Amino acid sequence: MASETPQSAFVLPPAVYSPELLDSVSYEIEQYLSWYRENRIHTTVGATAITEPDHSTETAQVIQSWTTGQPLTLSSLQSLLKYLRELKLPVAHVTLAALPNHTQRQQLVDWFRGIAGPHVLISFVGDRNLGGGVLVRTPSRVFDYSWKQKLIEGRSKLAEVVHRV
Amino acid sequence: MELYILGGLVVALAIGLVIQQIRIERTNRKLAELATKPKPVVVSEPTALELENKLKAAYEAKIGEATQAFATDLTSTSAKLSELVSRLTTDVIEKELDAYHKTLDGVRATANEAMEKIRAAVDEQRVELRKGMEADVAAEQNRLIERFDTKMGDVVSSYIAESLGGGVDLGAQMQYVISSLEAHKEEIKKDLYNGV
Repeated sequence: MASETPQSAFVLPPAVYSPELLDSVSYEIEQYLSWYRENRIHTTVGATAITEPDHSTETAQVIQSWTTGQPLTLSSLQSLLKYLRELKLPVAHVTLAALPNHTQRQQLVDWFRGIAGPHVLISFVGDRNLGGGVLVRTPSRVFDYSWKQKLIEGRSKLAEVVHRV
Repeated sequence: MELYILGGLVVALAIGLVIQQIRIERTNRKLAELATKPKPVVVSEPTALELENKLKAAYEAKIGEATQAFATDLTSTSAKLSELVSRLTTDVIEKELDAYHKTLDGVRATANEAMEKIRAAVDEQRVELRKGMEADVAAEQNRLIERFDTKMGDVVSSYIAESLGGGVDLGAQMQYVISSLEAHKEEIKKDLYNGV
């Protein structure tokens, strides 16, 4: 078995950008660990092996980033799971007028991680009442650059326009 | 001696009294007889006619005098009465009219004073009411404007959202989104770092 990967060297892959994806990865690793233990018992007693559970690409990328090319061991997986469970990362909740597609998500994730580093999670929310623009909620602030907010801020101009009409 | 003299005087007086009493009774008796049997007066016919004519003339003269005096007195009394009634009537009417005018003036003054007070109160009330209404209207106007302004953003954004429906093109917005974030990059970065 390889030794445990230093946590400082671990970087969340860009594909795992949201708290939901991180929870999903943790869940899959937990399922994998459970399968691994049960399968080992089955192998020991000579029972039929249990089918290995599927896992997502993101989980594979996380495991790969954690092991850094070393062989996967039970203890390293347990360490990874423990690490992921205890991970407290800042989350930027990004609200747009619609849910972004993969490219747009990646563009925004790259931007956020470009300014704040890889250990930032981004949660995407679609709210068509915004009209357009973006609303970002960070741990202690709200940055509202939505069209709705622009309209509210420019209410005097809006009132003038309405009055002119 | 003296007793004999005194006795003689008393006897003389008693005799005198008896005599006088007797004379009085005789006189009374004669008078009674004269009363019961009046002595008829005999007047001759010419004398009776003359007396009657005189009495008639005297009676008519007295009647005429009395009538003339009564007429004169009645005329005078009537004139005086008319004058008195006229004066009384004039005085009463003047007094009544004067009192009426005074009362009317008093009533008019009171009414004017009351009217002035009412007018002043109404004016004051009108001013207060106007101020209150203006303040209420201004407050309501401000409230409506505030509400309008507050709701207008929601209305317009909802209108935009409804108009666009589900087909919001984020691709066209991404440049705006990224540039908005870039404009506040340091603030966002600082807050995210604080959360690390």
